[in-house]
Amino acid sequence: MKLVTPQTTPINGQSIRIEGISKTFSSHGGTMLAVDDVALSVRPGEFLAIVGPSGCGKSTLLQIIAGLIPPTSGRVFLGDKDVTAQPAHMVYLFQQYSKSLLPWMNVEENVMFSFTHREQLSKSAARDRCHEYLQMVGLTAFHSYFPWQLSGGMQQRVAIARALAAEPHALLLDEPFSSVDALTRLDLHALMLDLWTQKRFTAVLVTHDVDEAVFLADRVAVLSHRPGRIVDIVDAGMPRPRLPVTTHQDPRFIAVRNQLLARLLTKPDAADVPAV
Amino acid sequence: MSLPFKRVIQILPGIAFIAALLLPLELATRWNLVNRVFIPAPSAVFATTYDIIITGQVFAPLLTTLSLLAGGYAIGCLAAISFGILMGNYRRVYNLFEPLIELLRPIPKAALLPVMILFLGLGPAMKLTTVGLATFFPVLINTVQGVRAVDPVMINTARTFGHSGAAILWRILLPATAPYILAGMRISLSISLIVVIIAEMISANGGLGDVIVYGQRMFLVVESYAWLVIVAALGFALNFWFRWVERRTTFWVSPSNQ
Repeated sequence: MKLVTPQTTPINGQSIRIEGISKTFSSHGGTMLAVDDVALSVRPGEFLAIVGPSGCGKSTLLQIIAGLIPPTSGRVFLGDKDVTAQPAHMVYLFQQYSKSLLPWMNVEENVMFSFTHREQLSKSAARDRCHEYLQMVGLTAFHSYFPWQLSGGMQQRVAIARALAAEPHALLLDEPFSSVDALTRLDLHALMLDLWTQKRFTAVLVTHDVDEAVFLADRVAVLSHRPGRIVDIVDAGMPRPRLPVTTHQDPRFIAVRNQLLARLLTKPDAADVPAV
Repeated sequence: MSLPFKRVIQILPGIAFIAALLLPLELATRWNLVNRVFIPAPSAVFATTYDIIITGQVFAPLLTTLSLLAGGYAIGCLAAISFGILMGNYRRVYNLFEPLIELLRPIPKAALLPVMILFLGLGPAMKLTTVGLATFFPVLINTVQGVRAVDPVMINTARTFGHSGAAILWRILLPATAPYILAGMRISLSISLIVVIIAEMISANGGLGDVIVYGQRMFLVVESYAWLVIVAALGFALNFWFRWVERRTTFWVSPSNQ
């Protein structure tokens, strides 16, 4: 897939720093600690992945970073700015693309929904911007289609184009590739890396797919079972560009993946479970 | 082109069945098997209906009824949608009003007419209020349900792009709830037609309900039936029109209709 248009201007990725983030949920007479004192630093333009078992609070952590839910304690900084509990110039890309795309808006209107309220653009300037991003995901021809007229993979591409059209300082990806088929997933991985290389936004990906994390990210943070705590941060360190076939066979890839899997499969209360 | 034709083929037996029911009635009246004072010949009813329409007599009553219906319906819908959005969004508002609403909702709104007359007299205020009340509850219940069914992902999508609360209301909450609201409005439309006709029957205002009762009192039985046919046609037309509006405004709900 070759969609690179080299003349596009990069988005300035900013650093993300979180300090002492904890989140307690109260439900039916009890409280549950979902995220426990997490500190993390993402460099400007870095691709960081967070992996963890299901229910470890990784989505909660990402939503706190996005400002969609307030933390019980702790702070979130984008660059030097304290953005705790407020949606700043970071965009959250949802796993449920079919619910995130608005069915009463066509593709073009969905993409414009991300930026026309913030910037006073003429109609043609807005459309140009919209088409620039649709071109990057290869969907220019579908600009007047409605989301439900597109396949799952195409819908997630629209969601990606819409997220980037907002030109955010950081993109927060909540398992965005987990509800498409395996081939489409590889396709979307390549697309995401392509866009990231061009635009240089800061990316934080939450996933339970270790291969995906290692393939895409510069560094991979491992979250423990609930309450979520960071127990390890590993450098993926394979050369870029990363390619679907060769990168997956890279000895470095295999070593890092095995290390992470071993870490994830060791349960704290069952030390006798054999590590992979 | 083939689709409307197919539709005609589909409804043809139903129409033939109606004709088959009317035919014995027509013959029975012509052969004096029934009392023609109370049961006029269908042909006579249709001829009078045609006269009423052709001579323009239909317009004044129709306009009176339609304006009452439209006014009361609009008031009821607006109140129900605004209030329903509040109740759907805020648990406390819901908890406060829910018991009262469950108490008032089952009352047939036509039964409130004597009380309404007591307070508001026989003029349009009484009819608008009763029609408004009849409209209110089905739309309210559906709006509350619709707001609660809105996926949080949609709301969070708007929030992550930095949309304001007002933008979330207009661009997410209302369109997402629209299919529920419109379903409630369709139910309310037929109920409010019933209520407006009854209200007119007990207050001589020159509307359709009034002219039906007038015909019966003056022994103009054929006219009475003819106006009944006109009311039936009005109800049918309103429902047909509303379904069209529904398909157009919430086209994403059943895309195969397009």
